[in-house]
Amino acid sequence: MTVAEERTTTASEAEPPAEPSRFSLSHPKSRMAWIRPSMWLPLVVMLAVLAVLWQYGARRLPYLLPALPDIGRSLTANLGYYVDNALVTLGEATAGLGMGFGAAFVLAVLTSELPLVRRAVMPIAVVLNVTPLVAIAPALVVAFGFGPLPKLIITGLICFFPILINTAAGLRSVPQQVLQVYRSMDASRIELLWHLRIPNALPFLFAALRIVFPLSIIGAVVAEMSASGSTRGLGTAISVASSMNQLPVVYASIFVLAVMGVTLLLAVTLVERRALHWHDSTLD
Amino acid sequence: MGRAYGFGPSTTVALDDVDLTVQPGRFVSLIGPSGCGKSTLLRLVAGLEQPDRGDVRVHGVTPAKACAAKMIGLVPQSPALLPWMSVLRNVTLPQKINRGAAKRRERIAGFAERGTAPDAPDMRELLVKAGLGEAIHKLPAQLSGGMRQRVAIVRAFGLRPDVLVMDEPFSALDEFTRESLQDQLLALWDELKTTVLFVTHSVSEAVRLSDTVVVMAPKPGRIVETIEVDLPRPRGEQLFGERRFHEYEDLIRDRLRRAWHSDVA
Repeated sequence: MTVAEERTTTASEAEPPAEPSRFSLSHPKSRMAWIRPSMWLPLVVMLAVLAVLWQYGARRLPYLLPALPDIGRSLTANLGYYVDNALVTLGEATAGLGMGFGAAFVLAVLTSELPLVRRAVMPIAVVLNVTPLVAIAPALVVAFGFGPLPKLIITGLICFFPILINTAAGLRSVPQQVLQVYRSMDASRIELLWHLRIPNALPFLFAALRIVFPLSIIGAVVAEMSASGSTRGLGTAISVASSMNQLPVVYASIFVLAVMGVTLLLAVTLVERRALHWHDSTLD
Repeated sequence: MGRAYGFGPSTTVALDDVDLTVQPGRFVSLIGPSGCGKSTLLRLVAGLEQPDRGDVRVHGVTPAKACAAKMIGLVPQSPALLPWMSVLRNVTLPQKINRGAAKRRERIAGFAERGTAPDAPDMRELLVKAGLGEAIHKLPAQLSGGMRQRVAIVRAFGLRPDVLVMDEPFSALDEFTRESLQDQLLALWDELKTTVLFVTHSVSEAVRLSDTVVVMAPKPGRIVETIEVDLPRPRGEQLFGERRFHEYEDLIRDRLRRAWHSDVA
């Protein structure tokens, strides 16, 4: 991407935008840059090398690695199966993320506004964060059964901490002189929160979302694998297929999970560019 | 209408036995070496700090009450703009904040003497006057440092404050930008006639802008001398060539040097 970025910065310096154009910055130009072979060729060559190595390994160790064509055939033949299970996992991941997000955001506001809440909540949040969720998952399944609830809780928990920490940091990082200007107008705490702190926390929030979207998939898959009685979701598909030694299904599911993760990350990036068009991280 | 500021010593003795009264509508600069408490004095007036002893009054009320009535306009060292808002939204945001201030302002004694209530100024017009007409819809990141500081000044003037409190607002700018901003500040001030408290460490800036220059000294922070600058206005660029301008500069430099040496000795 460096070549593309260099290009766009020099271009925008040469002709400053006449009016505020939020999307003119680097966007279409960097997309055009992908036409040039120097942008995509290294990746393609790397993928080709990896594919050859994979095929060689699959030939030598057929019980450990499925051949790539087998994975592809499994994907195309049972596309409906994969899509169904992917949607289940995706639903658990996003719903759990939503719950974790809501709780973390509210708590971030409370902890940054009220030191009392911060002292009460933060130590617990830290303990929760350092406890491996894989260890909690089976207990939650015992408590809440094989339905969606323990999956949502686990996904929510795994997303909770990064959002809490980042948002709280963003809320507190309004520059002192900005706060002084608005305090000299006797702005209320609500006004400071709404007009200064929350917008200021947005870049931090998006940084957290970039971390948390992949984590949410991990949470959902771990929860599915822990609940051995559950019937749907890619995590279930993987554990069932591996117990029956259906390696192509295992790897096809993994592939679908990876695609899902990349898609989510891409979505976050697109939303971020729109919401943070003013921020340094999107300006260059 | 007078304002009296009196302070007592604090543990660090940022300010000791400071007594200063500023007449409404005057442009007063505070100058002195670092550590002389000029910024502390400013922060006390803006209600950002509390005096340990003594009393600060703005139009007869405490700084806290003055803030609640939005009588104070603050221009800090950095522009302190919100990077996600256009210039126009940055300067109009104060109107959305503390909406009850207008009523509180009416109730403060001496209000009638100062004329009718300041109606919400047309911020666009003010921006155009400050030479920011082209920049109204731009983001702060798209502006130069001088333009950003101008936006900050317009934001403060937009409150129609009774006291404009400026803490070294031009110190981060290059000399040419600084002089053109001084011109614009004087033009705006001439029109809106508000009291200005201006902290600076530039002698020529203080002389050029002020009616009164307050020379301060450190350890403990105190006022050494108050010098009235009796130069005609408007003070354009031709002022820099005048002998009396340099006489005032020399006088203030001399007082600063003396304050410095008395401190060292």
